[in-house]
Amino acid sequence: MADEFIKGLGMLTGGGLVWMIMAGWYRTPEFGHGQLISEVPSNLTMYDQMAVVLLEGAFWVAIIGALFFWIGLPLGREAYATYASN
Amino acid sequence: MSDDQPTDEDARTDGTGIVSPDDETPTWRERKERTTGLSRLTYEYFERSRREDQDLRQESDYVERDVLAFPTWPHELVRNLAITSFFVGMILFLGATLPPHLGQPANPSTTPAVILPDWYLYWSFGLLKLSALNPELAILGGQKLLADRTFGVLANVVVVGFIAIVPFLNKGSARRPVEQPFWASVGVMGVVFAFTISAYSAKTHLPLNPHLSFDLAFLIPPMAGAVAYAILKTMREGYMYDLNKRYYKLRPPK
Repeated sequence: MADEFIKGLGMLTGGGLVWMIMAGWYRTPEFGHGQLISEVPSNLTMYDQMAVVLLEGAFWVAIIGALFFWIGLPLGREAYATYASN
Repeated sequence: MSDDQPTDEDARTDGTGIVSPDDETPTWRERKERTTGLSRLTYEYFERSRREDQDLRQESDYVERDVLAFPTWPHELVRNLAITSFFVGMILFLGATLPPHLGQPANPSTTPAVILPDWYLYWSFGLLKLSALNPELAILGGQKLLADRTFGVLANVVVVGFIAIVPFLNKGSARRPVEQPFWASVGVMGVVFAFTISAYSAKTHLPLNPHLSFDLAFLIPPMAGAVAYAILKTMREGYMYDLNKRYYKLRPPK
């Protein structure tokens, strides 16, 4: 159980760290408002577009990773235990 | 049985006990495959440390000292160096990657729209706004004895003074709140008051009537303290407290 917690927390914090840095590069035109959540500029080179994919990917890794290890996996195990006992 | 063969009652000092000899130390893969996992590993680590400590004490040149802890080197320092390296690395990484926030320079000729100190000084700033508590004395014909700003500074002195004398009123012999419900509830009251007076300091930004937030700043802390006192008093009764009473009395050796 503790292993699942630290895996979920690791994905949340690791993905969040990568997301925060990439969002600081591509989604922060200014610090007054809209920091980290502004629109991605449209005129991007190929490398920048790959970085934006990494940005989106890291965000969903953080969200889905935590949900998977904290909710999905325990739910699945409970369901399997119920199913196996019947 | 000969004398050099230890029985099960004796402590086994040849390495066949709970501590594995070096050539039988499990690999990391073997450790991971154990179902008992981290608790077993922790137990073995401390058992080995205890064994090393015991071997050290049994050496002929060992001098008994009043040390009841693990040695600083390597146990504490390896851990502390790992933590320090992590945070230094994180600072360097973030400093290298995150874009710096260089705001507009401050304009000394205009007053800012929001006048507030840094967040950790909100409580003190809130204590400067206690003009409603400053009495208008009938003997002075409705005049106030102190200016409101002087009164606010004195309120800071009173609060800081009270915090300063708390260690003299309570020696801090309790290890957990349930042992001294009254002082624990005093602490709860102080912490809650720090938050409510901080909120009151930003009263023009709160979605509340300023008079209401002033009243709440002084009403919520005693209420929270009373609730904490009731909970802690309740925790002192019943089966679980009796069960834990001996544990509560445990103290580390002087």
